[in-house]
Amino acid sequence: MTAIIHADAAVPVRADLSAVHQRALDRLALPGTWLDGSQRLAIAAETRNSGRCSLCRRRKAALSPYAIDGRHDSLGGLSEPMVDVIHRVATDPGRLSRDWYQSVLDGGFGEGNYVETVGVVVTVVALDTFRLGLGLPPLALPSAEPGEPSRYRPAAAYVQGCWVPTQSKDQVSEEDAYIYHNRFGANIQQAMSLVPAEVDGFFDMVETQYLTGAEMRDFDNEFRAINHVQIELLAARVSAINQCVY
Amino acid sequence: MILGKGEQDGGVPHGRLLVAYAEAVIHGDAAAIGRSAQSIREHLSDAALVDSAAVVATFNAIDRVADACGIPLEDEKADLTADLRADLGINDFPSQVGVA
Repeated sequence: MTAIIHADAAVPVRADLSAVHQRALDRLALPGTWLDGSQRLAIAAETRNSGRCSLCRRRKAALSPYAIDGRHDSLGGLSEPMVDVIHRVATDPGRLSRDWYQSVLDGGFGEGNYVETVGVVVTVVALDTFRLGLGLPPLALPSAEPGEPSRYRPAAAYVQGCWVPTQSKDQVSEEDAYIYHNRFGANIQQAMSLVPAEVDGFFDMVETQYLTGAEMRDFDNEFRAINHVQIELLAARVSAINQCVY
Repeated sequence: MILGKGEQDGGVPHGRLLVAYAEAVIHGDAAAIGRSAQSIREHLSDAALVDSAAVVATFNAIDRVADACGIPLEDEKADLTADLRADLGINDFPSQVGVA
């Protein structure tokens, strides 16, 4: 367990943010659904390394990232297909394509493995971006906890509009219903529902960093030190830079 | 402002400052982050800086969830935002090429 998280910040960080970030950091080290703790941490480390990859830089600068072949500058320890998923999601998400995703599956990558990998990448992106925004270095990664992945695949999940199999709020089993507790079940919340633990963990962070669904729609009250309009302006500018339509 | 144009606040209190901050963080420009973060602290508050960092972090991550999982825009959102998306050129984003 690390010392009090964000204690090195020049400004006070609200306690619920520190707590959720600690939970997210700890979760990276735990065995997941398709990946064990060591693999999850290796993905986290590779996510950070992706910013130094020369292949990714060339692809980012190219008219099409799919026109540039080569090998990633990786830390080693993960398969090249896994590294490609991590690097592309981390460095150029706005130009991911269904064809590319299908090629990942055709290469033997499991759907659950893919979704969990995305879950780990975005958790690290969220943690590191927050720290960057406060002028701080990334948090040290914890040590892996022992244990095997659960290999749980929800029976209700299937491909229905997204590239990946999902289960909606209406379809989810009693066992998985917790992922939609107090959540509206929007497409973004369904996105990783093939791996329920990733939904719950990621939106635990979202609701503390941003707003809960109910807070987002409550324009009579403000819940942060910036108001709804300021929050949405920040969100929109980030998404425009990332070229994310959703 | 959302597309990075305009020099005013766009009707949003301290809008230009917040946009500059978001851009600095997403582009990883340490010097610009420092300047804009200090401005937020001076013109808004320390807590506003923390919450701004948290929002930028959220959407830098959640954008990747959406794009990596290939989620569609909900029909009702698509209908509500059709004109807005066309005006802002969002339909020209790479992920939308070939999408009906």
